[in-house]
Amino acid sequence: MKLLTPEESMYTCVRCGACRGVCPTLNITGREADGPRGRVLMARSVLEGAIPVNQEIKDQLDRCLLCSACVDACPMDVQVPDIVMVAKEQIAAATEIDSFHERSVKIDTSQNDIKRTAKPVRNVKDFFFDKVLGDQKNLNKVGNLLWMYQKSGLQKITRAVGIMKFFPEQMQQMESIMPEILPPSKRKSHPEFTPRANDKKEARGRVAFFQGCIMDVMFRKTNDNSIKLLSKAGFDVVTPQSQVCCGALHHHSGKTDKAIEMAKANIAAFENANVDYIITNAGGCGAALVEYEEFFRNDATWLERAKQFSSKIRDISEIVHDKGELPELAGRGERVTYQPSCHLQYVMKVKDAPAKLVKSVPNAEYVDLPDKKYCCGSAGIYNMLQPELANEILDKKMEKVKGTDSAVLITANPGCYLQMKLGVHREGMDQVIETMHVVDYLVESIERAESKTPS
Amino acid sequence: MAETMERPPLDQNIISRLEEIFGADRVLTNNTDMITYSYDASFETQLNPRKPEVAVIALSTEEVSECVKLANKYKIPIYPRGAATGQTGGAVSTKGGIMIDLSKMNRILDIDHRNMQVIIEPGVIQNDLNEALKSYGLRFPPDPGSANMCTVGGMVSNNSSGLRAVKYGVTRHYVLGMEVVLPTGEIIVTGGAKSKALKSVSGYDLAHLMIGSEGTLGIVTRLRLKLLPLPVTRGIVLCSFKQLEDAGAAVNAVFSSGLQPSAIEIMDFNCTKAVNMMKPELNLPIDNEAILVFEVDGAKEEVSSQVKRLKKVVETYASYIRFSDEPEECEKLWQARKLVGAAVGLLKPGGFRVYGGEDICVPISRLPETLREIHNIANRYGIVCGIYGHVGDGNLHTGPVVNSNNEVEMENVQKMIDDIHDLAIKMEGTTTAEHGVGIVRAKYMDVEHGPAMDIMRAIKKTLDPNNILNPGKMALPN
Repeated sequence: MKLLTPEESMYTCVRCGACRGVCPTLNITGREADGPRGRVLMARSVLEGAIPVNQEIKDQLDRCLLCSACVDACPMDVQVPDIVMVAKEQIAAATEIDSFHERSVKIDTSQNDIKRTAKPVRNVKDFFFDKVLGDQKNLNKVGNLLWMYQKSGLQKITRAVGIMKFFPEQMQQMESIMPEILPPSKRKSHPEFTPRANDKKEARGRVAFFQGCIMDVMFRKTNDNSIKLLSKAGFDVVTPQSQVCCGALHHHSGKTDKAIEMAKANIAAFENANVDYIITNAGGCGAALVEYEEFFRNDATWLERAKQFSSKIRDISEIVHDKGELPELAGRGERVTYQPSCHLQYVMKVKDAPAKLVKSVPNAEYVDLPDKKYCCGSAGIYNMLQPELANEILDKKMEKVKGTDSAVLITANPGCYLQMKLGVHREGMDQVIETMHVVDYLVESIERAESKTPS
Repeated sequence: MAETMERPPLDQNIISRLEEIFGADRVLTNNTDMITYSYDASFETQLNPRKPEVAVIALSTEEVSECVKLANKYKIPIYPRGAATGQTGGAVSTKGGIMIDLSKMNRILDIDHRNMQVIIEPGVIQNDLNEALKSYGLRFPPDPGSANMCTVGGMVSNNSSGLRAVKYGVTRHYVLGMEVVLPTGEIIVTGGAKSKALKSVSGYDLAHLMIGSEGTLGIVTRLRLKLLPLPVTRGIVLCSFKQLEDAGAAVNAVFSSGLQPSAIEIMDFNCTKAVNMMKPELNLPIDNEAILVFEVDGAKEEVSSQVKRLKKVVETYASYIRFSDEPEECEKLWQARKLVGAAVGLLKPGGFRVYGGEDICVPISRLPETLREIHNIANRYGIVCGIYGHVGDGNLHTGPVVNSNNEVEMENVQKMIDDIHDLAIKMEGTTTAEHGVGIVRAKYMDVEHGPAMDIMRAIKKTLDPNNILNPGKMALPN
């Protein structure tokens, strides 16, 4: 668990500047306010009531990607994203009257000129968080709709008529790179138990698979492949049916009550699975799961259970690399590079397991991506909210990707995957660079080797 | 801060002119932006942040020159700033004015590896430079603890150095020439306007007047730096001493045995304790007064033999020794030293490490008594501190740890800082070896320099008649 709360942590920043070199937004603009040190002091100023709540401070703090690179670089582990989040929550609470935040701090709201979100937008947002993300059945229905949209020819029609032109540029581009949704018949529940592929060998461990919410609808194939990869690597895999969304999006949107409710449901679901490890294939989810214990600082019973739960969380690359044994792999002579997920490398501290796995594929060449320390700019829905800055970050990233002359760009998180795919698309290189989740790449390499050596 | 301002506030015309020079995007006037330009890494600016009135982000020499001309014409103070990792308040405003951020002038312009030199803009980060030089087997040796974040321009302006200064010297030894914008806005190149020579005695060495002048005489916009070959490998000897005097004797013995370590670092018992708290697996010995970490570098065979000789020399004095010439083990041993700066913060739960009195330098022969005396001072004020430093140069970093909400401690630590500085002078040393003077050590300048201070003031007046460039620093007029 983190040693200090965000409010305590913000007083331990000595402004040494160790965070300057890793901040993606500071790298673009060079403005101190776009760097972690500046953000900590601005957040602190608003929380202390030293500066008023207004549009100016809101805009400044909204530019943070919350990627956590600065926390990793900080010698004092100052919790910059958490500090920024607390300030943003307080600003939101001071603005949205029917929000239920405790006014624990003395913020100055006398000059608040922030426009309140229109009621219908708030209602849609609430509906999305409570009824869609919060409920796997409803999420599945949305998946069905999306699938219908793609299959019915409606996608072609909307593209042809150019309806998307009326949406912001970012949204149009997102729509065009959306992964193909599998039909409902292929999105049934995962088997509750998948044994290791080779039962002649001893199991490498009993693990549970965390399927995620959006992941399981939009990236169903990657989820299927994850279970396959774990099984091929020698693990017995349980996929608890009562698991729910990790709650990260709720938490980041200030809906902490809902996030806690979901955390409890997941802790209970995975306790019953009786496993050595709990595996995620999305750095964003993994980072939320390892931080569950933060929710229960004042709840001894749940804190103990949350600690047990969090200690079992592993990223799929990490577990396969550290504990698994991969069968034979085969490449196709391609050059491969890897853009890490921030949550994976900075919060879960899995720095190079995906790269090490990719390097182990014969007949493929791995090249390091320069400046891979910088976030790709996806950061949840950041690219929708801060399109200008996000595009600059993305363009810079794609320059580096092109420089590696790779045919495959590996990612380890769905948000990164979409952002990288968007970047490749913007460069007009869809036919040249294939964006892949590391799991899909490995499964493809295993299957290629299998097809070459008939058993 | 606003109340110390003697001039009327900037009028809108100046802002408009700045926008013409830099473009509106790079001229910042928001209150929140000014807050973020009100500090560097010093304790002083944590207590008393100083906001400028406007901040600009420069991308070229021409922009810098135009901006300085404007400032000079209207007599507006202008403060150059790199990454603001300094610990002296050197890169903050003293009376409003213009903050000029040079951190985006960060291009490496020409790696001229055949001539063992590189030309860069001032905003390049030390570590980025060395990363870029690695594939040529070269490096820029000065290595402050902040190498990951400090700009080379800032290093030059403060004549910074680090733990390898004992063998490789300080920033000054690697500056061949520079382009500087003078306080009038005029652009000059020193070290030979078109020269690529590695040595030159032609004329007054103006580059060396600029080095360490803390941005009071000019703004460096381009640097020509000398490079050295990257050492192939290194070895580490970590040893512990029951008594400080034994550690001092060991250092003397090493020097007189003909060995030339690339670093000799000292950590006192509190630092040892703190590092063990941060990384228990390092398991450093604790029943001692000090630990020394020696580093030697060079070719593989050379390093192995140096490590053996070093070990033999220190054996007489040390109570505990670990050593290695294997890269992985070296990295582990080196961690002890690498972590110490951050680790001292752990000496007091919830406390933070104060950078103040953090850079004194005394003759090597007086190190043991200085260390003891610093602990006496700390005890007198009831403050816990760890002391570490570059013992090969006599340079000590003191890290007091306090709770920011404890008013007595906050007051005492400031008295403690003064006492440490006085102690340095008493020990025939200096208040600052590599961090600089800025605001925080200005009051010692007259004591340290006597009448020489008048010459410094005269030079300042000659180059900057309107006193616009980084005024109020180094005991020069505000």
